Amino acid sequence: WFGNIVSRLTGSRMLTDQELQPVLGAMKEHLMRKNVAAEIADKVVESVGRELRGKKVTGFKGIKTEVRAALSASITRILTPKTSTDLLLSIRAKRSSSLLSSPVPYSLTFVGVNGVGKSTNLSKVAFWLLQNGLEVLVAACDTFRSGAVEQLRVHVRNLTLLGGAQAGGGRRVELFEKGYGKDAAGIAREAIAYAKENAFDVVLIDTAGRMQDNEPLMRALSKLVAVNNPDKIIFVGEALVGNEAVDQLTKFDRSLKDFSASSGLGAGRGRGIDGMLVTKWDTVDDKVGAALSMTYVTGQPILFVGCGQTYTDLRQLRVGHIVDALLRD
Amino acid sequence: MVLADLGRRINSAISSLNRSPTIDDKQLDAALKEICTALLESDVNVKLVASLRSRVRTKVKAALEGGADKAKEAQRRNVVQKTVFDELVSLVNPGVEPYKPKKGQSNIIMAVGLQGNGKTTTCTKLAVYYQKRGFKSCIVCADTFRAGAFDQTRQSATKAKVAYFGSYTETDPVVIAAQGVEKFRKERFEIIIVDTSGRHKQEKDLFAEMEQISAAVKPDMTILVLDASIGQAAEAQSRAFKEAADFGAIIVTKMDGHAKGGGAISAVAATQTPIIFLGTGEHLSDLERFAPEPFISKMLGMGDIQGLVEQ
Ligand SMILES: Nc1nc2c(ncn2[C@@H]2O[C@H](COP(=O)(O)OP(=O)(O)OP(=O)(O)O)[C@@H](O)[C@H]2O)c(=O)[nH]1
Ligand SMILES: Nc1nc2c(ncn2[C@@H]2O[C@H](COP(=O)(O)OP(=O)(O)OP(=O)(O)O)[C@@H](O)[C@H]2O)c(=O)[nH]1
Ligand SMILES: [Mg+2]
Ligand SMILES: [Mg+2]
Repeated sequence: WFGNIVSRLTGSRMLTDQELQPVLGAMKEHLMRKNVAAEIADKVVESVGRELRGKKVTGFKGIKTEVRAALSASITRILTPKTSTDLLLSIRAKRSSSLLSSPVPYSLTFVGVNGVGKSTNLSKVAFWLLQNGLEVLVAACDTFRSGAVEQLRVHVRNLTLLGGAQAGGGRRVELFEKGYGKDAAGIAREAIAYAKENAFDVVLIDTAGRMQDNEPLMRALSKLVAVNNPDKIIFVGEALVGNEAVDQLTKFDRSLKDFSASSGLGAGRGRGIDGMLVTKWDTVDDKVGAALSMTYVTGQPILFVGCGQTYTDLRQLRVGHIVDALLRD
Repeated sequence: MVLADLGRRINSAISSLNRSPTIDDKQLDAALKEICTALLESDVNVKLVASLRSRVRTKVKAALEGGADKAKEAQRRNVVQKTVFDELVSLVNPGVEPYKPKKGQSNIIMAVGLQGNGKTTTCTKLAVYYQKRGFKSCIVCADTFRAGAFDQTRQSATKAKVAYFGSYTETDPVVIAAQGVEKFRKERFEIIIVDTSGRHKQEKDLFAEMEQISAAVKPDMTILVLDASIGQAAEAQSRAFKEAADFGAIIVTKMDGHAKGGGAISAVAATQTPIIFLGTGEHLSDLERFAPEPFISKMLGMGDIQGLVEQ
């Protein structure tokens, strides 16, 4: 598409609006084919337009290079994390800064809509933490969906076996559960207290999937956040999602902030999304646009990428790879 | 409810045509652009939108040039409305009749789809739906991969008071599927629903496994369960499922959210397979029958367009 659209621009002069319009239109369509949400594609293309307008370029090659560079720069800027993505570092920092004899464990809460991969990727994160010498408590706070507790129990059992087989004897991983139908915020609180007593390093809190417009469920999630003030709130979203990515993230972030602020409870008032975990990367080929939509909306980093259904299918985001995939034909 | 937002946008594009005294190319293009933008923002496949746009334009122009009589301005605008409506309906209506389960015999239904799209939940909803209509219904859990899969089926089937079959120890889904179907067939169950693991086209082994399960249970109807929020990957994935599993119906889930389901609509177009139900919540009764024309009229919130079609 690249050669195609820029061949419309010729000569050596300042790029005008009129010349840029069709190029930007084609660019937007290209981004949407890569599964970037329409609204975000618009904004990216606008910024590329601003970059290029009035720029002086010579020859076909010059223009092609300029357009490509401007798009690449714009995407890179959006995807490049503005805060640290080094989770291990912040876990260790919290532990070493604690003056208590039994320090408060580091806690992560996984939130998101139904079926995106929260529980599975929570388990992958547990595996990764165990490999890094940390002890993990998994808190089963999805007390609604059938089989949710048993799903985590199987993962914890697998992780125990995997950990046990490792050189050095393996690290502790345990499940904290109170069955179904109970208040998730309360179970999370008990889990954190239990982890503190038993000297776990990290608590991973699994929550039930919910639609971003479902107010009662969003309020319940906000209560969990407000009461427990987790160190990180991780939004789990799937690479398969299209334009919904924008609405999901906007509303999860907004509702968490608003409802947790108005709940009047706890230290976690006004908290929003701290980072994302993007799953099912292995199902979209190079249509990786959802990653761009998600980061654009929140301005928060993608902490992990899920790329399969086994414990080792968890990666760190490589910005260069996404830029390449998005620019590719 | 569903798609209302999209309907509003398309409506306002059409009514802006209604307000202008005549329809020229420029106005038509402006309205079409607005409609296509709305479709793109609802995840309808990019190529599909482009072809819809050019088809509507061609049809409308032909109709307008055919009846050049200025006095019939109102009718000429109706041409635009009707063309848009028809094209939208044909997007969700491949004109294929889905399988109809029959009483007094075993109807085998197999659910397939991408990971986490709602297969297991939908299997129970379907069992409840048919059970309410007097079919003796049951579920076979042939997912041996997902952690806690059998517990999920066991708990939700128990809640729904539907018979189920599965195993904590058998690891081959083909064996379980065959055993379960065999058992329920003998017990004269009329609706036997086989739930399978989530999978995707990039994993050849998983697709091969699906084909083996299908060969073992010989489904009367295979259903692709598809999440309403899916974006541009819908086409390639649904095509691959069609080739491997030859599904005969689609169920779009999670329509209770904000998603417009345009990706799922694109899957219909790519595979020429009808949608039969919409999933509209996590509870067992959150299942709605799907029919193309009422769906589009409801989406457009327009009785008058429906009226036009019936003329
Ligand atoms: N292909 C692929 N599948 C994944 C990935 N991550 C999770 N899955 C699968 O997605 C399905 C749903 O995963 P879950 O972890 O149960 O999702 P969830 O968000 O916890 O679901 P709910 O709790 O029901 O909302 C499972 O079949 C997982 O194996 C991934 O990165 N790639
Ligand atoms: N809001 C809403 N949630 C739904 C709907 N259908 C299913 N879900 C939820 O989506 C999540 C995934 O559903 P499952 O039935 O486990 O999906 P699956 O396709 O069987 O998943 P795998 O077997 O892992 O591939 C669960 O949290 C369900 O409660 C629906 O129509 N609306
Ligand atoms: Mg879960
Ligand atoms: Mg399932």
